[in-house]
Amino acid sequence: MRRTFVALLAAAAVLATAACGDSSDGASDPAPGQPDKVNAGVIAILDVAPIYLGKQQGFFSERDIDLTLTTAQGGAAIVPAVLSGEYQFGFSNSISLLLATSQNAGLKVVCNGNNSTGVDGQDFAGLFVKADSPIQSPKDLAGRTVAANTLKNIVDTSVRASVKKDGGDPAAVKFVELPFPQQVAALDAGQVDAIFVVEPFQQAAVDAGARKIASSYVDTAPDLTVAMYFTSTKLLGENPDLVARFTEAMKESLAYADAHSDEVRDVIGTYTQIAPEVRAKMTLPKWPTEINTASVDALAEAAVADGLLTRKPDVAGLLP
Amino acid sequence: MVAVAARAPRVTGRPVALGVLGLAVFALALEVGPRAGLVPIRYAPPTSQILVTLGEQVGRSAFWVALLDTLRTWAEGLLIAVVAGIVVGVLLGSVPFLRAATATTVEFLRPIPSVALIPLVIVLYGPTIRSTLVLVVYAAFWQVLIQVMHGVADVDPVARDTARSYGLGAWARIRYVVWPTALPYVVTGVRLATSVALILTITGQLVIGSPGLGKEIDNAQQSDAVRVVYALILVTGLLGVLANLATRFVERRVLAWHPAIRREEVTPA
Repeated sequence: MRRTFVALLAAAAVLATAACGDSSDGASDPAPGQPDKVNAGVIAILDVAPIYLGKQQGFFSERDIDLTLTTAQGGAAIVPAVLSGEYQFGFSNSISLLLATSQNAGLKVVCNGNNSTGVDGQDFAGLFVKADSPIQSPKDLAGRTVAANTLKNIVDTSVRASVKKDGGDPAAVKFVELPFPQQVAALDAGQVDAIFVVEPFQQAAVDAGARKIASSYVDTAPDLTVAMYFTSTKLLGENPDLVARFTEAMKESLAYADAHSDEVRDVIGTYTQIAPEVRAKMTLPKWPTEINTASVDALAEAAVADGLLTRKPDVAGLLP
Repeated sequence: MVAVAARAPRVTGRPVALGVLGLAVFALALEVGPRAGLVPIRYAPPTSQILVTLGEQVGRSAFWVALLDTLRTWAEGLLIAVVAGIVVGVLLGSVPFLRAATATTVEFLRPIPSVALIPLVIVLYGPTIRSTLVLVVYAAFWQVLIQVMHGVADVDPVARDTARSYGLGAWARIRYVVWPTALPYVVTGVRLATSVALILTITGQLVIGSPGLGKEIDNAQQSDAVRVVYALILVTGLLGVLANLATRFVERRVLAWHPAIRREEVTPA
């Protein structure tokens, strides 16, 4: 018995050392002739379907990129990981990138992410109220409470844009932070007056009988660039060739996704748990290959107007 | 002061049958409640739907990868905590000077909830297995350490003095006097640490996003897949049950010589 225990101790010690020693091996300096190992940080939402589809289609491997996709819980976790070099590329919404840039984070956008459909009432995100709510249009939200998944970010900025467009006072809208999965239930229970949800929760809101009063991403700017792929200025300086190849592969992926919506709905099932019947009917974003620079500029100005930023960040320096 | 090898129930037909019956009634209540409209069926799916969903999950390779990641994080964290807890515990327990010097520090560090370290490990290691491992080790370590220190303190002074007067060296005294006394305490510490380590493993994955079942639960929640959330929670519960059975088994094997266990072994079959 004692011998067994000593053996167990030894095994434990070995394991402990192994556990401490396994560092996350990133890209950089592959053996000659070997593809570059690239780690990209994404969020498990439909917006990033093109990169999964592009990987499946071999758009990255044919450019000597061995792509690993890691899901994080939000852009807030991805930006520091890209800066530290744990991920070579990341996906984040445009406002988060503008906020990071205003702090001189050393980020550089490499490619477009996804855009609103540009069609009012038929976007992949929307502002909802209860069916019997007295709120008829966004301007009625003055003095009301709206749920946003993250405060001081793209959701409240967009909802304010809807209110402003409707002739209301955006400063009079109150926001409360609530994760997407809890919003429909909170609306039902009357804890909030309105919610802003993206797919698949838009389908849940529709199923619960909620009424859509605005497509806020559409109201923010025509064909708004909601999110983008980015890297660190450090990697761009050290390995511009890798960044160029990734960008090319990414653009091919975006174009492919935009043209093959059935395959997009299938690939979403591989990295999320969204039910097949929901995947079939949800509204997909648009995936243009080029960034809508004017819309990012509009977001930067809105962020200043709403007080998220004190000074307009260097949009041209952030974008490629 | 410390429950040494709590008595295992005698395994006869009746308690097992009763246990299964209790579980069945519980499952039935969860089946009927949502269907009768007592709780909203959308947020509390009935048992049968959860089981069907669990069956679907078992067919996904992502499920097995997550399960292995969870087991790996759990086992590694537990091993590190147990080894460190035993080594440090024996050391602090046998050297009065060290024990006195560290007592305040231990009592200061021990109550800090492991989850309070989450912001720290995210900055240090990001959403990796290592982050969760730190939480697991931190939480499980104290469970073992405290038990071991109590165990070492429990050594019969006569036995200790006898060993000393017979000229046994430090190592021999630890091995033949301290260790047998402390072993029941160590085993209890390991059993406590096992469940604490599982809790922190799932918590870390859920909150930090390191790979494993906890992260899959979060992914399911973000996908509005309520049934999947319940199915995965069920799996984590099963892990806890299995862990408990395993530690009880080990306890009986390791402490077969101990009076507390031996008493039961002689019960007529």
